[in-house]
Amino acid sequence: MTRLAIAINLDRCVGCHTCTLACKMQNNVPEGLLWNRVLTENCDVVDGAEGVYPAVTRTYLPVACQHCQNAACQRVCPTGATYKDEKGRIEIDYQKCIGCRMCMGACPYNARVFNWEVPVRSTGANYGDARVPVREKGMVEKCTLCKERTDEGEEPMCVVCCPGRARIFGDLDDPESEISTLVRDNHAYQLLETMGTQPSVRYFE
Amino acid sequence: MELIKRYKALSAVLAALVIVGVACWIYQLMCGLTVTGMNNGTSWGLYITNFMFFVGLSAGGLIVASSASVFHIAKFKQVALPAIILSTVCICAAGMFVLIDLGGIQRVWRILTGPNPTSPLLWDVCVITCYLIINICYLVFMTKGNDRAVSITSRFALPCAILVHSVTAWIFGLEIAKEGWYSAILAPIFVASAMDSGLALLLLVLSALKKMRVFETSRDLMASLAGLLATCIAVDAFFIFCELLTMGYNGTHGGMLILTELTSGATAPFFWFEIIGGLVIPFCVLVFAKNREKTAVVNVACVLVVLGVFCKRIWLLFTSFITPNVMGAPGIISGSSTAIRETGTSSFAVLSSYAPTAFEVLIVVGVISLVALAFMVLAGTLIRPKKTAE
Repeated sequence: MTRLAIAINLDRCVGCHTCTLACKMQNNVPEGLLWNRVLTENCDVVDGAEGVYPAVTRTYLPVACQHCQNAACQRVCPTGATYKDEKGRIEIDYQKCIGCRMCMGACPYNARVFNWEVPVRSTGANYGDARVPVREKGMVEKCTLCKERTDEGEEPMCVVCCPGRARIFGDLDDPESEISTLVRDNHAYQLLETMGTQPSVRYFE
Repeated sequence: MELIKRYKALSAVLAALVIVGVACWIYQLMCGLTVTGMNNGTSWGLYITNFMFFVGLSAGGLIVASSASVFHIAKFKQVALPAIILSTVCICAAGMFVLIDLGGIQRVWRILTGPNPTSPLLWDVCVITCYLIINICYLVFMTKGNDRAVSITSRFALPCAILVHSVTAWIFGLEIAKEGWYSAILAPIFVASAMDSGLALLLLVLSALKKMRVFETSRDLMASLAGLLATCIAVDAFFIFCELLTMGYNGTHGGMLILTELTSGATAPFFWFEIIGGLVIPFCVLVFAKNREKTAVVNVACVLVVLGVFCKRIWLLFTSFITPNVMGAPGIISGSSTAIRETGTSSFAVLSSYAPTAFEVLIVVGVISLVALAFMVLAGTLIRPKKTAE
């Protein structure tokens, strides 16, 4: 089996939001929506700090779809528009999405976004990878783990563009892969592990 | 059509509101759900609140009518017809609210061609359809005076009524992502609040019909229904207390976030109105037999119960949307009509908020007006010959 995943080294993340924009460009994500966000953890301002001076810390947390193996969104989708594919990725068949937004309520990570209006793009035209299907108003969308790229053996755009080399892409089911070794050696964790969703995205420091 | 003819002005106003609502809905279909106040953080709004509310309102009627046959409570049989009409129109409203809430209604047939059996929304579609069919069968058998068929239908109607509320609760109660929803007691709470809001609405409708001289309900029967209502309020309050105690007792981070929001945060006005206005006051009024004899007092209590349950739907739905599980700045990209034109971090929200727009409110008012008109038509045509029942 294959279980494609991303591991993120939080020590190497500088909070530059390049992954956010690389993702938006690659996947033709419309105005007002994002598939990937970089959070300044436990702060209410971007680049804020946690704690009381001088004992302060700052952690950046990139969050996108966690590609859960026990995915809450997939379970509640009434039409099967959200599905897990043979490579362990959670994907959406946009033509089956009826826009009920059940999956948005079910996702513990707020990874999903909805086309509330007819998608607008600041360029006035579609951009990014031509292989990525264009979404219409009334459809839910989210990170596909760059399905179109990873199907061809390329890495996801956020991994390619990360200037800090904080992101590692690979197959968690292959014990010899770089990602599996890193996850093992660094005791990488999952977001909201106690919810039992078993995300494929791992974080380590 | 008797009632429509008799109350021309009211009917005209309702019809106008329906037309406005339909126009707003067509506008929403053209522009997308961006005309509502919903956003990526609070992805369900007034439509889903009303969906829950009307599924609940539909209960009282069917439960009273079917328990007349199932438990052989003969006196409830007298009000079975208006009760079933009420239940039918309310479940239609609930169905309409779900359809209005869909972003891709043109693809809704996908539910039939590729249903996902694990989705509570699919269960709900199935159960509501069954419920509607049972209601219609009930109406048909009752107007034809086929007592045997009525009594057989009622045996299916009662479990189906319980199920329709439970399944609606499971749409929320099975979501592990939302601290305030994820609870085994949500289904019992939904059944209890469906009973009390539905019964309260039934009492209000019966006393309105009495005033219009369409349908006579004896004072005695009204009082005994009010007594049943008091019991339902107590059960509802007990379930809500169980839920709040379990949520707060251990002082967990997630539980306290929800409780703080409920008692002193954004949803506090709705929470306190529900507890005081929707549970405590009506119960204290209806618990005394003397009060249950007075029509005006019972009516006030019923209005409070209906409003209280509506507030409960609001706090239940929205409190869990406020704080995301994974917190941090800039938060969730909102995607709503206003935020989409903003630049920088103003298009994000660390804590999610929601307020309905005028379009949303007009669409909701339109649906309610349509339901009121449908009730007037059905009551006017079907109840007439039964006037001698009392």
